[in-house]
Amino acid sequence: MTEAVDAETADEELATNGHPEDPDFGETLLSVDGLTKYFQNESGFLSWLKIRPDGDGAPIEADRDWVKAVDDVNFEIKKGETLGLVGESGCGKSTLARTVLHLLDPTDGEIYYKGRNLESLSSEELRRERRDMQMIFQDPQSSLDPRMKVGPIVEEPMKAHGMLDDERREDRARELLEKVGLDPQHYNRYPHAFSGGQRQRVNLARALSVNPDFIVCDEPTSALDASIQAQVLNTMSRLQEEFGLTYLFISHDLSVIRHISDRVAVMYLGQLVELAETEELYENSQHPYTKALLGSIPVPDPRASGSRGQLEGDVPSPIDPPSGCRFRTRCPELIAPENYDLTEAEWHNVRAFMRSVDRHDFDFDGEADLRREFFGNAEPTGEGGRIVDRAIDHLLDDEWEDAAELLLESFAEQSICALEKPAYEVDAENGDGRHYAGCHLHQDRDVVH
Amino acid sequence: MSEPLLEVEDLRTQFFTEDGVVRAVDGISFTVNEGEIVGLVGESGAGKSVAASSIMRLVEQPGEIVGGEIRFKGETIFGLEDVERDGDGPPEKVPRDDMLSNAEVRERIRGREIAIIFQDPMESLNPVFTVGGQLREFIEINRDLPENEARDLAVHMLREVGIPEAEERYDDYPHQFSGGMRQRVLIAMALACEPSLIIADEPTTALDVTVEGQILDLVDDLQGKYDTSFIWVTHDMGVVAEICDRVNVMYLGEIVEQADVDSLFHDTQHPYTKALLNSIPRPDQSVGELNPIAGVMPEAINPPSGCRFHTRCPEAREVCTRTHPGCREVGDGDGPHRAACLKHEGVFNAGYVESESIENKTTGGFDVGLTEEGEADD
Repeated sequence: MTEAVDAETADEELATNGHPEDPDFGETLLSVDGLTKYFQNESGFLSWLKIRPDGDGAPIEADRDWVKAVDDVNFEIKKGETLGLVGESGCGKSTLARTVLHLLDPTDGEIYYKGRNLESLSSEELRRERRDMQMIFQDPQSSLDPRMKVGPIVEEPMKAHGMLDDERREDRARELLEKVGLDPQHYNRYPHAFSGGQRQRVNLARALSVNPDFIVCDEPTSALDASIQAQVLNTMSRLQEEFGLTYLFISHDLSVIRHISDRVAVMYLGQLVELAETEELYENSQHPYTKALLGSIPVPDPRASGSRGQLEGDVPSPIDPPSGCRFRTRCPELIAPENYDLTEAEWHNVRAFMRSVDRHDFDFDGEADLRREFFGNAEPTGEGGRIVDRAIDHLLDDEWEDAAELLLESFAEQSICALEKPAYEVDAENGDGRHYAGCHLHQDRDVVH
Repeated sequence: MSEPLLEVEDLRTQFFTEDGVVRAVDGISFTVNEGEIVGLVGESGAGKSVAASSIMRLVEQPGEIVGGEIRFKGETIFGLEDVERDGDGPPEKVPRDDMLSNAEVRERIRGREIAIIFQDPMESLNPVFTVGGQLREFIEINRDLPENEARDLAVHMLREVGIPEAEERYDDYPHQFSGGMRQRVLIAMALACEPSLIIADEPTTALDVTVEGQILDLVDDLQGKYDTSFIWVTHDMGVVAEICDRVNVMYLGEIVEQADVDSLFHDTQHPYTKALLNSIPRPDQSVGELNPIAGVMPEAINPPSGCRFHTRCPEAREVCTRTHPGCREVGDGDGPHRAACLKHEGVFNAGYVESESIENKTTGGFDVGLTEEGEADD
């Protein structure tokens, strides 16, 4: 009987972090507006000193490079849902996660959690707010102190936030271990005695200990084997239902994202390129990058017709990202510049030629060979054709860089993709949610922020 | 049918640790034919990487190949024979006369005949030497070419694997290459001596999905061009489906299923393979609840009795705890299809049908029993 009473007071104490203006399920829990995070590029001693002998004024100036890790990102998360955030390594998804929790100070933009601007909070208020927002990291090993037993590990956040007394903290820790699928008897074991999947469960229990509403999961199952990953994903779904949790789930694995998410955001080089409900995004993707990503995943079925390796080249540096649409340097559907009169086939050839010259990935044997190789079926005429001719002249003189510069300046930089940042809302074919696509192929649609 | 390129028979590799003997690879047999990509798939701890290094005789202390035979193009890479000891006691195992010496393996086999590509390209390249220099040195040593010819070949190989501006990038250091580019360099290195067999140990695991796609494409192209055979070690069933011709599924040091890729996915004969396939989320369709395999893989230091998968197997019966199934032919269709599971009563005759189903304590994950206990407490 006393236990029941204890449990009740514990519940009250646990609930005190609730806001008076707690949103209902389906209402916005967190919204991110124009979020931007730049880092100073500090690689190299005195690398910020730029020598400009031929410039005006002082020949040496201090000019720091900025790594534009996250640039003008907008999204919102509704209470009780899972927003999947997918992208390749280096696209800024982990930085975004940390910035959302204010573990990193944003360079620009606002984050509203339950309607409150996190920027406006004092550090003490922010600390208290964090009780409501927890994070789970990728490596279950390094996020657990090897010298602490798992029980105290789970109790630590409660201690930090002054919740409950010793005895009830221990009760709660044992209860949580059980909830995440571990044996409460394991309370006194050290992390090394657990397997990777079990350690991730300990991390889950620790995150849950302060009864948060919002959990950011940064690649929580990427280090786990397939069969263990499935166990942990199922546990996470169950806990979400039981505790009414909201997840921001970050992963590079499109299969996992499809399985766990209600809505999915795709990130490329610091920006969101597409955001839609899961089914809609996978079945009716509108951004060429999303399409390429989906096309590249190896499907675990030998009879599925795969079309992999759809993207050429590497991701550009976030220090100096491409203007307009950041994907344009690799986009298979880069839009033709309006100032030349090119047919579809001609533009296709010019685009391929331009990129090959830029990457310097071919050799040729005379002009005829070159023209046959790149412009066999359609050779551009008019102004566009004259630029191609000049570029070929450069190549014949072995001036690759001049040729590349000429082509990029005349074609790539003139495309609408380079001139404006795309942001459109397209019609969803599946479900009734919004479908955001950052691609100028949809320039006839409504522009969103 | 032509003679297989590589034959592995009953290979056993063990690690002698303070805690006991870890039977990392415990009696696996498989073959690789010419121009074939053979998959070696399993979860971490299944023994796939140890098996791969054993073929190259690269197992290090405290590990040791303790039994079995590895034949490659008619030569014996590894083979033991029994020698009677004076007096009593079991016969001693000593290397056979025809087994290649360490020097022969080093000089004739590694790099020239069998090359290996590791998962982490940064660890395989020396950070203080240029990429081109390392590639050139490798070619010089293994193909006995003079320096300038080796250099030309190195540049040619870099171009071959799709490194742009190969001539200029020859003098770059590994850190100036991206992960995908570094992996391409390793592929160039592996192919440079035109080996008959390349062992690829999780070569795309550390790469992004679009880069992985590029590398798989590249391997496909080059394989067609050079007619090289591959042993592809991976945990990713998607990659297996994409590129492998035949597949060996490993669990706890043993091969539990062996089949061509289509039958493995569409006519699965072993419960572990089936469970593994059911536990992965699909990129091409939405599935409700995932079906994880219960529990975790036991330690190889003290594997379960009988069938090693019986502690997690949804189809386990009492007989499975006692009888250890070998990997036997179970297929009815075309092509060999072997599986190590007693449920194929017609093949194993172990009394599986009459045997009672065992209550797998871990069925449904190890949380089931506990949650009930928790409810009783409330």
